Amino acid sequence: MLDIEDLDVIVKEDGKKILNKLSLNIKAGEIHAIMGPNGTGKSTLSKVILGHYKYEVVGGDILFNGQSIKNLTTDERARFGIFLAMQDPITIEGLNNSEFLKTAVNEKTKEKVDLYSFIKELNELLGKLKLNQSIFHRSLNQGFSGGEKKKNEVLQLRILKPKLIILDELDSGLDVDSLKVVCENINEYLKDNTDTSVLIITHYPRILDYIKPNFVHIIKDGTIVRTGDMSLALQIEKDGYGSINNIEEAGLNA
Amino acid sequence: MHKIIVDNDSIILQNENYLDIEKNKDVTLYLFGEGKTIINVLEDCKLTVYHLGVDISNDIQINLNGKNSEVKYYYSVVNYQDNVLKIVINHNSSNTYSNVYNHGVNVLDKSLRFEVSGVVPKNILGCSCNQENRIINMSNGKSMICPNLLIDYFDVSSSHAAYIGKFSDDVLFYLMSRGISREKSYSLLIKSFLVPTDIDKEKVEDFMVNIENI
Ligand SMILES: Nc1ncnc2c1ncn2[C@@H]1O[C@H](COP(=O)(O)OP(=O)(O)OP(=O)(O)O)[C@@H](O)[C@H]1O
Ligand SMILES: [Mg+2]
Repeated sequence: MLDIEDLDVIVKEDGKKILNKLSLNIKAGEIHAIMGPNGTGKSTLSKVILGHYKYEVVGGDILFNGQSIKNLTTDERARFGIFLAMQDPITIEGLNNSEFLKTAVNEKTKEKVDLYSFIKELNELLGKLKLNQSIFHRSLNQGFSGGEKKKNEVLQLRILKPKLIILDELDSGLDVDSLKVVCENINEYLKDNTDTSVLIITHYPRILDYIKPNFVHIIKDGTIVRTGDMSLALQIEKDGYGSINNIEEAGLNA
Repeated sequence: MHKIIVDNDSIILQNENYLDIEKNKDVTLYLFGEGKTIINVLEDCKLTVYHLGVDISNDIQINLNGKNSEVKYYYSVVNYQDNVLKIVINHNSSNTYSNVYNHGVNVLDKSLRFEVSGVVPKNILGCSCNQENRIINMSNGKSMICPNLLIDYFDVSSSHAAYIGKFSDDVLFYLMSRGISREKSYSLLIKSFLVPTDIDKEKVEDFMVNIENI
């Protein structure tokens, strides 16, 4: 589904190199996790997949279902079915949350949204996410608590029905109960959409207890330095990233 | 000349551009068009004004003449030519409250200027006088904001905020990351910027069509 090949990325403004020959291959239905110290390029990777304006791909390629997307606009990539739940969702004063959602669905399907079924679906999801109905009538993320913002990202995810889900620190800002609710919600979606893939960016294995990854990658200095399974995430939690350099591949997989 | 839709029959029109807002009334006023207007607000009256238009210049004076009177003024303009908004709020009585929100989208390379004054004379007590002025430049227009708070007494709370610039790229990225095209994203942003949330949209349909066409 997603093939990232030797990706080199710089910050447009100052030319600073962020991603360094990063390669990552995610097949349909697979769940991957990326962990790594602060400032190693995890969020940058997630934004570059969606063509963020601040970054420039100077080498390598990003393929989605075999097609290079690196020259497409952000909205085109999104309409292909890539969804990024952001680390810090922004606030837009005056933009009604439900109008925003309706527009997004409209743009994707290119048909007028059937209001009745749209509202029914929204209400069901709100209930499942334990979100208050009032968030529809409010401005996008304005005055939302940290947890409500994250839930609102998942609400959008469910409504837009992506093929590739990227979760950038979804777990930050969520209390233990909310994390469970949100993960169950995503799992419910994955159960119905078995060929949807997920890329989870996180610092903590807890979220991976709920959404179980097939692969865990460690990123350092803008490149993936190790790939393993869930045990790698647990090892990081126990011993920190310093331990990574000292462990042989063989020992890891044992 | 103004075309006026009144939400409430308590407005006495003395002259096309002179309005007295009666005592003790909550009044919502929809103003369209341009001209010179004086509005007198009497005791215990809460006035909300939505003033919207395309290519309008205005010279507006609001006199908070009665105790405990309040005004909220929402001015939204789409600008293609050279235009000026002058608005003066006179706090002529104690415990009066004003909040002015002036929003403009300057589409082309012409000039748009907001001159906004809040006046609280000596010995007028317990007033609150606030203004927020924002202009979005879509091209290289000459936009200017001149805020004045002429306050002659210490017992006043006041604030002002001003912004001239573009819509933020981060906001655009967020909208586009949800599959919304650049064009449609701009149109959503313009709408949320120019159409106040509590407005009765049916009363401003013409204006909504105008902003769809920017
Ligand atoms: N627009 C930018 N301008 C300058 N530097 C940037 C920019 N974006 C990212 N960087 C730098 O690139 C590096 C990677 O940032 P990124 O946000 O991807 O880190 P991260 O791995 O997500 O970290 P965290 O775990 O703290 O969220 C950091 O050093 C950051 O300061
Ligand atoms: Mg990050």
